[in-house]
Amino acid sequence: MSITSDDLKGMIRAITAAIESEKDALNTLDAALGDGDHGTGISMGFASVVDATTEAENPSDVLRLAAMTLMNRMGGSSGALYGTLFLKAAMHIKDKARITPDDFVAMWQKGCEGVAQRGKSQLGDKTMLDALSPAVDTLAQQISTGIPFVNALNDAATAAEFGAESTEKMQAKHGRAKFVGERAIGHRDAGAQSIALMFRAISNYWKDK
Amino acid sequence: MSARKKKLINQPENILQEMLEGVVAAYPDIIRLTDDGLIVRAEPKATGKVALVIGNGTGHEPAMIGLIGKGWFDVNIPGEIFAAPGPNRIVSGIKAAERGAGVLVCVSHHAGDLMNAEMALELCEMEGIDNVEMVVLYDDISSAPKGSEPERRGTAGLFFVWKMLGAYAEGDVTLAQCKTMAEKIRDNTRSLAVALTPGTNPVSGEIMFELADDEIEIGMGVHGEVGQGRRKMCSADDLIDIMLPPIINDLPFVEGDEVLVLINDSGSMTQMELFILFRRVAQILGERGITVYKTWIGAYATTQEMAGFALSLCRVDDELKTLWDAPAIGANVRIVQA
Repeated sequence: MSITSDDLKGMIRAITAAIESEKDALNTLDAALGDGDHGTGISMGFASVVDATTEAENPSDVLRLAAMTLMNRMGGSSGALYGTLFLKAAMHIKDKARITPDDFVAMWQKGCEGVAQRGKSQLGDKTMLDALSPAVDTLAQQISTGIPFVNALNDAATAAEFGAESTEKMQAKHGRAKFVGERAIGHRDAGAQSIALMFRAISNYWKDK
Repeated sequence: MSARKKKLINQPENILQEMLEGVVAAYPDIIRLTDDGLIVRAEPKATGKVALVIGNGTGHEPAMIGLIGKGWFDVNIPGEIFAAPGPNRIVSGIKAAERGAGVLVCVSHHAGDLMNAEMALELCEMEGIDNVEMVVLYDDISSAPKGSEPERRGTAGLFFVWKMLGAYAEGDVTLAQCKTMAEKIRDNTRSLAVALTPGTNPVSGEIMFELADDEIEIGMGVHGEVGQGRRKMCSADDLIDIMLPPIINDLPFVEGDEVLVLINDSGSMTQMELFILFRRVAQILGERGITVYKTWIGAYATTQEMAGFALSLCRVDDELKTLWDAPAIGANVRIVQA
């Protein structure tokens, strides 16, 4: 099987719809630890990505335009981190007309490394990485064992959801949430939650396809 | 979360653009808005001078759109509400500011501001734009302990940097000298803030944090970041007695020092309250043998209608005093004393 630029655009539309419907919930999560605008920012960002990527022809262009749009439309740390995630992924699949599941795994791995570097963050720091990293690891592991792509994506989405939930027990090391100290415990990280929504939307796109 | 407070806007998604259009319409002799959403001086600085650029989330007015003009900064890159602008926009700002002697990108230390500025500098390097430097600024003593100053966040006390660095960059100085000056002012500045009641996020309409009617929070950040000391409401004098000593002891400011004092209104304090607060600040500094050179009391970096204030001190020498006294003509923040 292969993944085309139309698939990537379809996934982006699915992510956009999922984020839009959870926008208020993301704002509420963010309000406990930050300034309460993560849902608004990311939904606005992805809505712009849909328009910006309409004309893109190859998969790398879809992701590169998504990255630039997220960085410049969202701004803030979320824009920089989501932008880096998509930009590193785009760089990895540069010039490929179609991408294989292995490429798909590797591009997320590059994206995940980029996010860790840009945010100078590690697992357990209560960031989006706590959902992203287990999702990407699960995806890589399941694809390598040869289970169907759609099942591997479902497992990755579940791993992201567990990862997002696990941030409730963590104290933040970065960003505005850091200043909450121990009071962060009990609250889920909004960035980790949006990553979980993203992987669930990607999984649903392939299930429905 | 509580519902929206009364706020006079039109559509939430148009807040930023409409505010920018309004401010340039009000002060066309000082600033203008470029097609790509930058606030620039109506009359650019002479060629051969170092340009100063800052990007920031909006919602803190008059910072930073009110601080563009002669004696202040050259270009502001306004981001979305409380979100730093993206790297491409910062690069546009750097290009718009360049006057032939380099550009200093100032960063008020917050995760988003820093990441986007770092990415912008990487993009500049890729495009072959050199002579761009970045300086990270911080002042809030509650956000990291002494000894970990670079982890502290940027709050209202950076006003001292904006003013004096702005004056410095009007002179015949190099990019490297500007960066050193920014660090000098930063390293002599300390701040601590307190919140009494929350502001609302103008886009979502939600209040930014919960605080009981009889509670205040010391160490609150400029975006409603939770501080470390929730306590019961107290009198103005008692609050200054709690807040000022940690500021003094952190630098430390000592007998014989001369200082600038800023009491920055977070958005909905009364002048009456601010002066009552300053009265006690002046008393304590006097008792400690610290001389107040000049004061600056008002709303300069706000968080919508949040009630509360930041108290900032900056130790000055003769060089800094001259820079403080230089004229600065921004849209609605002006210093004209000699």
